[in-house]
Amino acid sequence: MNRLVGFAGVVSKRISGAIALLIGASSIIYLTVRMAPGNAVDAITPMGTPDDIKQQLAADFGLNEGPVKGYFSWLSRAFQGDLGDSLVVAMGSRVVDEALPAYWITLRLSALALLFCLAVAFLAALATSHHQRRSGLMAAPIYVFTTIPSFIMAVFLIHGINSFVRYNISQDVIFTLDWYALGQPSDSIVPTLIGGLALVFSDGLFVDYLNALRAELTKLKTSQFIMSVKSRGASVWPHIIRNLWVPLVAGYAARLPLVLSSVVIVEKIFGIEGAGFLLIEAAKVRDLPMVVGVSLLFTMTVIIVDLLASLVRVATDPREVARGA
Amino acid sequence: MFVKKNIQTGLVGLLLVLATTSISHAQVFAYPEDTRPSSLLPFFADDMSAVRMVELIFDGLVFKNKRGDFQGALAKDWTVDPDNRGIRFTLREGVKWHDGRPFSAEDVVFTVNAAKNPKTIFTGSGKFNFIAAAKAEGRNRVYFSFRRPVTDPQARFVFKIIPKHKFNGTAINRRDAFSRKPVGTGPYRVTRFTLRQITLEVNQDYWSPARISRVVMQHTPDKAAQVNLLQYSGGKAGVQAVIFLPPKNIPLFENSDTIALEPYHTVSWWYVAFNHENKALGDPVVRNAIVTAIDRDELLQANLGRGDILTGPFTEASPFYDFDIEMREPDSEQASEMLQRAGYVMKDGVRTKGKTKLSFRFVLDKEMPEQQSLFLGIQAQLKKVGIKVDPLYLDHAAYKETVWKREKYDLTLNVWSFEEVEDVRPLFHSSGSLNFINYNNPKVDQLLDAAQSAADYKTYKRQMKALHALVHKDLPYMFLWSLDVYSGISKRVRKVFIAPYYYFTTFREWELKR
Repeated sequence: MNRLVGFAGVVSKRISGAIALLIGASSIIYLTVRMAPGNAVDAITPMGTPDDIKQQLAADFGLNEGPVKGYFSWLSRAFQGDLGDSLVVAMGSRVVDEALPAYWITLRLSALALLFCLAVAFLAALATSHHQRRSGLMAAPIYVFTTIPSFIMAVFLIHGINSFVRYNISQDVIFTLDWYALGQPSDSIVPTLIGGLALVFSDGLFVDYLNALRAELTKLKTSQFIMSVKSRGASVWPHIIRNLWVPLVAGYAARLPLVLSSVVIVEKIFGIEGAGFLLIEAAKVRDLPMVVGVSLLFTMTVIIVDLLASLVRVATDPREVARGA
Repeated sequence: MFVKKNIQTGLVGLLLVLATTSISHAQVFAYPEDTRPSSLLPFFADDMSAVRMVELIFDGLVFKNKRGDFQGALAKDWTVDPDNRGIRFTLREGVKWHDGRPFSAEDVVFTVNAAKNPKTIFTGSGKFNFIAAAKAEGRNRVYFSFRRPVTDPQARFVFKIIPKHKFNGTAINRRDAFSRKPVGTGPYRVTRFTLRQITLEVNQDYWSPARISRVVMQHTPDKAAQVNLLQYSGGKAGVQAVIFLPPKNIPLFENSDTIALEPYHTVSWWYVAFNHENKALGDPVVRNAIVTAIDRDELLQANLGRGDILTGPFTEASPFYDFDIEMREPDSEQASEMLQRAGYVMKDGVRTKGKTKLSFRFVLDKEMPEQQSLFLGIQAQLKKVGIKVDPLYLDHAAYKETVWKREKYDLTLNVWSFEEVEDVRPLFHSSGSLNFINYNNPKVDQLLDAAQSAADYKTYKRQMKALHALVHKDLPYMFLWSLDVYSGISKRVRKVFIAPYYYFTTFREWELKR
């Protein structure tokens, strides 16, 4: 019963915070795009378009109102579930119809990349938690390679692979693959795989995860209850895994925003047609409804994942209820 | 050993699986575009990538064939009224829309009425003004009456016909879902439309079915990547054509066994625009000195490759280009002398006359090819004569607003492109819709007004040549060059003919050798 009340408390607290956050985020994004020089009408009309046509188009696009009034009009429609139509990048489509499939690609890429990162970091932490000296030697190269910013890692990977394939083609060796076209539209899974690697092993994400898991493992292994389990001759791993569950989930939720911010650039560089790519293209042409719609999906994901992590903490650790997760 | 062998086998397997992703390209004509089509609804196809794609999906009543004559597309034949105040088209029978519905004269009338509806807001509406009314005469005949006599009126009916049954009324909004799910009568129908790719499949019901079964347009903004795709695939995988090869890349394909260079005609020229609102740039001596200081040939060779340096607002292929006009030779010493004589003295590396300092803001569009290196070249050459230019790089939307709308610039670099022949009145007339340089020269206005009311083509041509001479002297712009325009096309593609401007007009005749 207590736990149910705890769940309800966490959910209601988070939902009220989420609404405020969504309104705050959408207003900042809307006003920033509106105030940037240029607008969607300028982006789609050729030079010399008569002013009366431009004005009619601005009215049709909802750009004839002032930014603040325009935002409240947009907000009232958004509350009714209408995020509007794309003005430029996907003209002829509703924002939701275009943004959701693209966002699914992004979410899948980010979530799987982070899951892969977690699995590798977990195995590395297990392998090195016993051997302080060996792990010390390994630390330096891992730090150097995995703290590179994601966009540099992506550019490095794309140029490295493309140069390799081009060289082989020039030597009439192997590939008939269009790998040299990484960054181009393609149905191949290769850009997604390599983009995922660029996400995982950059921005210090892997090192951060590894350090957190190693510290947690070391703490657990030297804890009194593990010692007593050991002294009884029983296996300690079920206990360790159970106690690692909470930091693993919390770490996943905490790092997802970082991955979602990196994925925008990685998608653009690798030409993956996800929400990050869509967001950049929409921002370039000032497609206001699309920019705000896609940004809200990113914000909502962070809110939902954080909420789920809180619920997992409440479910696995009754003390969290008292702390209010 | 066993493990190592297994890993190797696994890697080879993975490569084979991945390789299958490119095999499907084999029977496809794929080509990259710099920009994504804004809309596939013909009225709103404002950019060139949309114009080219619309050419494959829709038909007009007539089209211009390889010989330059107008030939029936949806129209079988036509008769022009003796007084040139009307035309009657007999339509091709048995034509179907891509969704299987029959095409009729009602669709033609609907298209014209939609274009003339003031609530259909598009930039090309002026092209329909000559039509007074359109009337269907049964299913297969349509009659157009004109507001005034029109010579060779059939030439004006290349506009694309849209299906009446796909719209609720003649007021058409550019956000209509039709923009992405078009239904035409053309040789290809759209089967897939994503953010970066549009796939077309051949329309088997077409009156003269196309030979190539599938066309894929992919959005690849980076020109270098487009060239790589063509160069490294040899036209076998990746892409089979690049619409416009940057001239500096042409030598890569000159002796290619796999790629053919196909020249085609475009009407476009590059320029540096002077904002005449700026007091210093309003001075003809300063403009003359700038043009004399810059070695345009060197800039062209170093950054873009082949082309023709121009003396005025027409390309060398234009009927209005006057070859008797003498080219200004680059000479920085002469430019310095001109400025010195006009009272612009050097002060801290920049020439100044009273309160007027030759220091300018040069606004550039980030999407223009080679804009950064061209600017650096111009900056270095102007520095020699004591003119300072500071760059401001803006993304496309911001550039349009800053330069074209707010006119907050001193100098800018850009390209003008025209449909058939150069119509420069909007550029240089003081009331011209494209006169964003605030140019006002009564002599030029007078000449342009006279040309507009010229009784015959010969007079018009003579007046355009006079205009060439006048603007060459007065320099509203620094006229730079027109580039040699080549497409790179795989030699597997046969019977290639590139139509001026529309590009794909005769694409249904192209063949792709297996």
